[in-house]
Amino acid sequence: MMRAEEIMTKDVVSISGSATIAEAVKLMKDKGLRALIVDRRSDSDPYGIVTETDIVYKVAAFGHDPKKMRVYEIMTKPCVVVNPDLGVEYVARLFANTRIRRAPVVKGELLGVISISDILNKSDFVEKPKSAFELYCEENPDALEARIYED
Amino acid sequence: MLKARDIMTTSVVTISGSATVAEAVKLMKDKGLRALVVDRRSDSDPYGIVSETDIVYKVAAFGHDPKKMRVYEIMTKPCVVVNPDLGIEYVARLFANTRIRRAPVIEGKLLGIISISDILNKGDFVEKPKQLYLEDRIEAAREDARSICAEKGATSPECAAAWDVVEELQALAADRRQAKEDTRDVSNSLKDYCAENPDALECRIYDD
Repeated sequence: MMRAEEIMTKDVVSISGSATIAEAVKLMKDKGLRALIVDRRSDSDPYGIVTETDIVYKVAAFGHDPKKMRVYEIMTKPCVVVNPDLGVEYVARLFANTRIRRAPVVKGELLGVISISDILNKSDFVEKPKSAFELYCEENPDALEARIYED
Repeated sequence: MLKARDIMTTSVVTISGSATVAEAVKLMKDKGLRALVVDRRSDSDPYGIVSETDIVYKVAAFGHDPKKMRVYEIMTKPCVVVNPDLGIEYVARLFANTRIRRAPVIEGKLLGIISISDILNKGDFVEKPKQLYLEDRIEAAREDARSICAEKGATSPECAAAWDVVEELQALAADRRQAKEDTRDVSNSLKDYCAENPDALECRIYDD
């Protein structure tokens, strides 16, 4: 099974929660990104994320001035984070259950960001679809249900 | 105001509803797209859309075989469509209210597709933020007034001027409400009745 680490995007750009939305938009345009990770203030602070959806839904849709609003007003923090060893099928299931489209990949430190585009474009779910049962058997090869009978 | 047609993506790829999800994924990868518009079967058939979110949430997340599932099983149809002349602030408001991220742009035929990325990258909401509704402007003015009064003091001239702005906007909103009521059909029926029966009890006008 492919893991989050193998398909995540490693160029991550972070921004301060006190930056203005206008600064965030400029950064996203310059780097061609759909989301930025919000800097942690300390090691015990959770990760946050601000996406283009947040900006369009909460700023552009109301005609608020992006130069006067700040990232912390619209960001999602704490946000769902993904372990780099998590299987891609489980990332897809997690995203579907929580209705999110991207999440930072974290283990000790920030390693990357994984999105539904990464799953669609880089994973092998078309060539090798795996059912929950197959995933279970792969993880527990000794389980009774996972026995393979040879004729 | 920029319109949907000014910022939409005009290269749209369509797919048949009976195509397999594997074919849709291949098409999206090849063309670098996040969504495909689903072909209409006839001119009276509504437009549909299938996005990468549909594929990941409904196929990949359950380990279903994309070669055995079809687009019609996971697509959104009918989908929200946008008129090319709609201002992009209204597109943003529509997307926020309906919780969608992209929609086909239609006028007679399919002209393009507009997404939140188009709004972010090609819109002018950073340079020229526009408040669509008077209620939004009142709310913004009220917030401004509160922060100015907190900073400069409740008795400062700046504070009084800021609340004047709020009051003017509220007066404008009240005027517009009145104008709307004057032209409404409900009150017109009473007016018509009174025009015909000026002596009726209901039609008396009290002078102060």
